[in-house]
Amino acid sequence: MIAARAGIRLVQHRIAALRRAVVGEVEDTNRLIYHVLRGGVLVSVAVLLFGFILVGAKSAALPDHSVPTRSLIPQLVEFTPAGFLSLGVLVLIATPMVRVLLSLLSVLVLIATPMVRVLLSLLSFAEDRDRTYVLMTGIVLVNLLISVFLLA
Amino acid sequence: MSPVEVLLLLALAAFFAGLGGSYLGIGGGVFLVPFMTLVLAVDIKRAIATSLIGVIATSSGAASVYVRDHLTNLRLAMFLEVATTIGAITGALVALLVPAVFLYVAFGAVVLYAAATMVRVRETAKERSYRGGAEPALVKRLNLSSVYFDQEDQAVYRYRVDRPGAGFGVSAAAGLFSGLLGVGGGFIKVPAMNILMRVPMKAAVATSNFMIGVTAAASAFIYYSQGLVDPSLAAMVIIGVFTGTNLGTRLLVRAKAANVRFVFAIFLAVLGIAMAVRALGFSGVV
Repeated sequence: MIAARAGIRLVQHRIAALRRAVVGEVEDTNRLIYHVLRGGVLVSVAVLLFGFILVGAKSAALPDHSVPTRSLIPQLVEFTPAGFLSLGVLVLIATPMVRVLLSLLSVLVLIATPMVRVLLSLLSFAEDRDRTYVLMTGIVLVNLLISVFLLA
Repeated sequence: MSPVEVLLLLALAAFFAGLGGSYLGIGGGVFLVPFMTLVLAVDIKRAIATSLIGVIATSSGAASVYVRDHLTNLRLAMFLEVATTIGAITGALVALLVPAVFLYVAFGAVVLYAAATMVRVRETAKERSYRGGAEPALVKRLNLSSVYFDQEDQAVYRYRVDRPGAGFGVSAAAGLFSGLLGVGGGFIKVPAMNILMRVPMKAAVATSNFMIGVTAAASAFIYYSQGLVDPSLAAMVIIGVFTGTNLGTRLLVRAKAANVRFVFAIFLAVLGIAMAVRALGFSGVV
């Protein structure tokens, strides 16, 4: 009698553990996507505000169009030759153009956020060996890459 | 209007777009583009590019919360994103080629349609309940049916997805409009999922919101590469939308959905008519 009860308890224990594992797995994927989407927006806003803190809101005759990605990072580095050394130096030498470049960098981070999410979904489906969904997510990723390289 | 006034007004508009958009499952572009072109006199193609940035921010901000709360149907989203991204790329390429007047006319029509669907969409618990019967073969194969937890009446609802093919087609059209007009296309996707595919309203809103980010990203970079993203406009939109969605996902949970929807619909109708009038003015009729 006691043995039977212990057996039932053991089975109940196993089932509870299994359930936790399943819930945990779903939770993991959702949590990861949550953090990627949330994190992407936060990084984007941080980059944007950093530009405004460095330069302030003062305006000059600045470009009102997007700078090609190819020259965005080189230009940022060029504007901040000693910038990697100290924040104080960075504030002193930052021109309004730096704010423009950081605003555009912020835009690019934002555009990249959903793309990173799709890549993570692809990995998650691959881990589950879900071929159909790996294929579909792959198509979406290829579409996104086409949009990046089509007219660039 | 001075440039500073334009930027402050845009930040304010983006705030409301983020606030309303996060709650209604739309990107808010359907409001931002007419506001930028009609009130702030921004060129329509630049307005579309800027709006897409706002749409991505709204979607990412709101979608993250819905995913965490298990409202989003990730499989259904992935399936329909195949259609929306192809549509979005096509739409962006068309938008770059056609004259502005075409975009005004298309926008007027789409916005009026959005206003009409906003007023109509309602849902009762009975409609949410599970219906028996065989699943379509594709739905079974792709395992699209799912469950979600409804905070409102503390119940778990199981639902069966219907008409996957039709939903896929409508999503492609939604993607096309997204790339063409700088909107998220949520006002097409939400009714399509809810009425056509029989997905419960809350799951449809969450899933639509989730797809909008990827859809907008697929066309946003095309606009970016053509130099159409204005850094100062984009900066205002990002800041406005960010604060709006943060407040929206927190505060509006308690508001009455029907009321928000109704006000938004009237607002959209006015903007749609204004866009149409503007388009007629362009072609010399008015």
